[in-house]
Order: sequence, then C-alpha cells, then structure tokens
Amino acid sequence: MAAAGGVSTDDVPILQAENLTSNVKSVYYSRTFLSIIGGVVAGIWGFTGLMGFVFYFLIMMVASIGLLAKSKFSVQAYFDSWTRISIEGVFGGLMSFVLFWTFAYDIVHIF
Amino acid sequence: MGIGYVVGVLGGAILAHAAYATIQYRAVLKITEEEFSRPPMDVMMELLLGLVLCMWAGLAVPTKFLSVLPHSDENRIVSLPANLDFMIFNHRGRALPSDSDLKLHT
Repeated sequence: MAAAGGVSTDDVPILQAENLTSNVKSVYYSRTFLSIIGGVVAGIWGFTGLMGFVFYFLIMMVASIGLLAKSKFSVQAYFDSWTRISIEGVFGGLMSFVLFWTFAYDIVHIF
Repeated sequence: MGIGYVVGVLGGAILAHAAYATIQYRAVLKITEEEFSRPPMDVMMELLLGLVLCMWAGLAVPTKFLSVLPHSDENRIVSLPANLDFMIFNHRGRALPSDSDLKLHT
C-alpha cells in the first residue's frame, strides 16, 4: 500500500491528545484561580474603573510568564502552539475577576 | 502538592488580614472625615505578599505539564500488556509513520 512507504511531508504532527488536554486544563485552572485572587486584591486595594482592568492584564501577563517557567520555557514539548500558554484563557477569566473585584470592594469599602 | 496548598491557604489568610486592616483603616478615615485614596503602606505590602503566595500556589497546585511528544521518555512503552491474546499487529496503525525509537528496547 502507498501509505506504508515514505513519510508524507504534509502530515500533521502526532501529539499525545490526553497529555495535551491535561496541560490545557491545568493552564485553565491556574488562570481561573489567579483571576479570582486578582479580583480580591484589586477590591481590597480600592481600584476603580480602568485601573482595575490594567491590574487584571498585568496579573495575566505575570501568570503567562509563570506558566512559561512551569513548562521550563520549552513550549513545543508540552503544547501545540505558543498561544495555548500565553494568550488562551486570558479573557475567559475576566468575568470572574470583575465578580470578585466588585464583591471585595463592597465588603471592604462600602458595607 | 501539600506545600502548594499550604502556601495558598497562607496567602488567602494574609489577604483576609489585609482586608480586615483596610476595613479598620476606613473606619478611622470615617472618624477623621478624610478621603480614601490608597491603603496604608503595610497593607499594600501585605496585599502584594498575599498575591505572590497565591500566584505561586496557583501555578504549583495544578497538575504538572506532561510531554505531548510521542518520542519523549515520558511516553515510552515500558511493558507489554499481561494478556498477550489481545495484542493485534495487523491494524491501520501501519499507515502512521513508523519509528524504531518507539519500539520496546530489551
């Protein structure tokens, strides 16, 4: 058969799907937890308006650097693209951030 | 795994204490009728310390990253299944590119 011959150059890379799913889930858990903690810190600090969102993206940037360090700066060994570890999940945690931000601000500064 | 949880709980406790200190500070401001602009310096230090501890816990507690490359050491087949009657060698896996590194080394 033809497929048993040489390796075709347009093959997609073969990855371990279970391990990739586990890694992506781990990244998602980390980002969600840090969104919640960032919201609590922003609320206690007293951030309002645009300053809170700047704080959120700052935390997400530090989290991306931490996740890169966790993968020992070799992204190709653990993920299928750079955006998996640096960009994916950043906007998903924004709602959790705003929820805990307003909640902590109300507890500390209003009630 | 346990040390990550302890660090996370400690960070959460530090944040709770910072929140309580900020509440007390707001009460003092209400008495002296001043405007709130920023928490006091020690509370800000407490917030940053709690944030750093929770960030470390948030990165350490989830499962370690596993390699997705089929040739890496983590994904090597190190033993055969116990029941050899169910091993099938004639299947469509022959269409995948074969690599002798994946074979079992004696």
